[in-house]
Amino acid sequence: MKNKYVFGGIIIAVFLVLMGYLFTQSNIEYVDDFNKVMVSEKVVKATGSWVKEKNYQIDNQNKTFSFVMADQNGNQMKVIFEGTIPNNFESATSVVVTGKYQNGYFHAKDILTKCPSKYEEKTANSSL
Amino acid sequence: MIGSVILTIALAFSIISMIMYYLNYRGYKNTLNYGRIAYHAMAVLVIAASIFLWYAILTHQYQYNYIYSYSNNSLRNLGVFQLASSFWGGQEGSFMLWLLLTSIVGIILQSYASKRGDLEPRVMAVFTLATTFLLVMVSPWFKNPFEYIWMTPTFVKVEHLNSQFFNLPFIQQFYFTDQSSNQGFIQISKEFVAQLSQAGVSLNQFIVDGKGLNPQLLNFWMQIHPPILFIGFSMATVPFAFAIAALMKNDYKDWVSQAFPWMLAGMGILGLGIMLGGYWAYEMLGWGGYWAWDPVENSSLIPWLVGVAGIHTLLVQKRSQVKGGIGKYAKTNLMLAVLTYVLVLYSTFLTRSGVLGDASVHSFVDPGMIVYLFLILFMGTFTLLGFGMILFRWKTLNENIKDDESILSRELALFTAMIVLIASAIIVLVGTSAPIFGKAVDTFFYNEMHLPLAIIIMFLNGISLLIKWQRSDLNELIKKSLFAAAASIMFTILLIVIGGVHEIMIILLSLTTAFSLFVNIDIAVKIVKGNMKMLGAYVAHIGIALFILGVIGSAVYSEEININLIKGKPVTALGYEMTFTNYNTIENNTKYAFNVKVKKGNSEYNVAPVMYMSDFNNSLVREPAILTLLTKDIYISPLGYDEGGQSQDQHSHNHISLEKGNSTEFGGAKITFVKFNMAPETMQLMQEGKDFQMGAVLKIEKDGKKTQTELLRKQTDGKVEFTSFESKEMNLKIDLEKLSAGVIDIAFSTLDGSESQGSSIPTVGNEVLSVAASTKPFVSLVWVGVVIMVLGFFISMTRRLKDSRIIS
Repeated sequence: MKNKYVFGGIIIAVFLVLMGYLFTQSNIEYVDDFNKVMVSEKVVKATGSWVKEKNYQIDNQNKTFSFVMADQNGNQMKVIFEGTIPNNFESATSVVVTGKYQNGYFHAKDILTKCPSKYEEKTANSSL
Repeated sequence: MIGSVILTIALAFSIISMIMYYLNYRGYKNTLNYGRIAYHAMAVLVIAASIFLWYAILTHQYQYNYIYSYSNNSLRNLGVFQLASSFWGGQEGSFMLWLLLTSIVGIILQSYASKRGDLEPRVMAVFTLATTFLLVMVSPWFKNPFEYIWMTPTFVKVEHLNSQFFNLPFIQQFYFTDQSSNQGFIQISKEFVAQLSQAGVSLNQFIVDGKGLNPQLLNFWMQIHPPILFIGFSMATVPFAFAIAALMKNDYKDWVSQAFPWMLAGMGILGLGIMLGGYWAYEMLGWGGYWAWDPVENSSLIPWLVGVAGIHTLLVQKRSQVKGGIGKYAKTNLMLAVLTYVLVLYSTFLTRSGVLGDASVHSFVDPGMIVYLFLILFMGTFTLLGFGMILFRWKTLNENIKDDESILSRELALFTAMIVLIASAIIVLVGTSAPIFGKAVDTFFYNEMHLPLAIIIMFLNGISLLIKWQRSDLNELIKKSLFAAAASIMFTILLIVIGGVHEIMIILLSLTTAFSLFVNIDIAVKIVKGNMKMLGAYVAHIGIALFILGVIGSAVYSEEININLIKGKPVTALGYEMTFTNYNTIENNTKYAFNVKVKKGNSEYNVAPVMYMSDFNNSLVREPAILTLLTKDIYISPLGYDEGGQSQDQHSHNHISLEKGNSTEFGGAKITFVKFNMAPETMQLMQEGKDFQMGAVLKIEKDGKKTQTELLRKQTDGKVEFTSFESKEMNLKIDLEKLSAGVIDIAFSTLDGSESQGSSIPTVGNEVLSVAASTKPFVSLVWVGVVIMVLGFFISMTRRLKDSRIIS
């Protein structure tokens, strides 16, 4: 029985340590306050919504996509994404961007759009 | 109503069956038949309820909330199968599908168990506990697909309603408009339905269309992915039931042979289901990959990894039973069988409870507290039952095997394989569960962790088949592995020299993968000449090796470039000459296919990425085009299309300066600049250089519709911002760019992206298609590998099915 525990134990131990280390390295926190996002030195997942009035820009030369995002308190920041506009961006109710705030912009390496898709109906709230 | 009644009766039968089977196990001989009858009655009712749901979908019974929410009339035009697949378009239906498949699996299980000694009452008592939970899930108190739309007041768009009844006097009380979109709704509530039926109109007559499905889900692979995945989930119930049955009897010998074929078939099907999801992502989503370590993907991978780990140690236990006793790793196997099903339930919890709300693209929306608690109860019950029973029997679970595994024994190699697979499962589990605690991991966490694991797995994959059971001689082992070692080293050198591979970890992974491949091919070839039924394991391992090679090629050596293809002008990228020729409409003018000619040497291919505006969510959907060549895929994902301007002027057509009182036209809309809007104090503020705000009033007319809007120039803290106007109805967007004395500069664009955003047009007057093009070397091996692996699982299953008939 000994070999079993030695082999199994070593592998599990090595990977747990490695995992613990990598987990702290790749650990990303969700932040919904842009004031905190702007001062954070780490990569974060910023959650908020796209400011539709400020439109978005697609720069074909630099291959970037940029837009303005606001958090629930109305704090705004400009987001630049190296890549193209995600599907469903226009209809997204909330946006989660992963990246870092630097030099006045949030540099996103990933954009996740949450849609008011099939799961909920927009509530109409003003009667005629 | 009928559906809910059927499901409630089925629930009663499931409970009766569970009690009868349990009583039979406790010694009441005459209850066995009642248990069987009740089970079959339950299964028949579940099948009937499913048929009824399908019938209601096909006949567009939009009075059911589920059918209104996930299907519509236009799905019918795509075919009966497309419409029928909205059965599992949402949460309620996917629980229903899971229940249906579990019930059918149970019919087979009952017949299987009844032929194997006194197994049936124990196995079925546990199995019916699972069907009971699923039936409670779809019962009228939880996620019932037969809930009427009015039970929770729902706003239904006027387009989905029959307008001939709009003159009914009471309609006005229930009519609402959303001011931002001018969308009219009628609130369907209990009071409304009561009034409607008084007027002699049924709800089914009143609601004439549904919301439909996200167009990205309307893909063949996405439609067969859920049923296959849920067959895998349903079959994972069986090894759990066998393990508990063994613990109940306190006899751990026979369950191993009996559960083995179920484990193999279940994991084979689950693996196939997971792959189909990846294939769909690759073909539809256009980001170029098949696996993103997304929580929803991960959550079904975790039970698969644990189940496959279990297959390896089950084999050892079975093998070691030859010497008498219950065999090696009896506790491990019980735990893994329990864990596989518990993790299936955990997967359901992660994806259905809303805990991953922010983390996943396709996580379901919060189902409410009561469902959340029920999912925890479901998971908790099976976890406690499984691990509680194992702990309860811990002391009697004695393997009575004194001899240690030799370092060079297949037993130890397989045990190590199990450990490595479990390590992989733990990594995925930790990463996927992190969002519950408000954290998330970057995908490099999974990739970095799996690289060393994959190296070990592939090495074991080869070496374990060369090592003999119990003990092998080192010299003999070296001699046997000589061919595979030499061949894999040759292969890796070729890869380094020709393929330009130079990262050390990738070299190691290629080496061990090639080693595994050659060992397995070598043995498989020998077997084909001899005993075919032994082939399963080798086929499965060849599949995994090919899969890993495909992953290395497509993930590590993929090249990607964004290019602008000007109509008729060839662009050379990635070694291919690409020319955008033209576009045409497809599928009844609902989608646009952009034809691109891809040329290399004398070979010429045509591909056509697709873009269209989806009515479902009013956004642009892009579908990639994939050109599958012998050694790689060329993957062309559309980014945008710009029709270019027709005017000779340096300004493109959609930028214009407009004087006060003048009009211009764009896309069939007439736009008039009416006046400036300025507060009295603005002039003062302007002169003092302070912040101020100023508006330009525009009148817009299109197709007889008139609207007025005000575009603003806002200045705060010296920063100037302009607002814009958007109308989905008119497919028009107007950006204010400049305000000066008597003149405004504005830019027009369409909302469907057919015209780009003004200033970024690279070449005026040309039609430009922007694409992201990439090469995916050997990506086909990913699919081929998984299919071969699944085939191996099934070959093994047929062999183990024969073994399971032998009762000690």
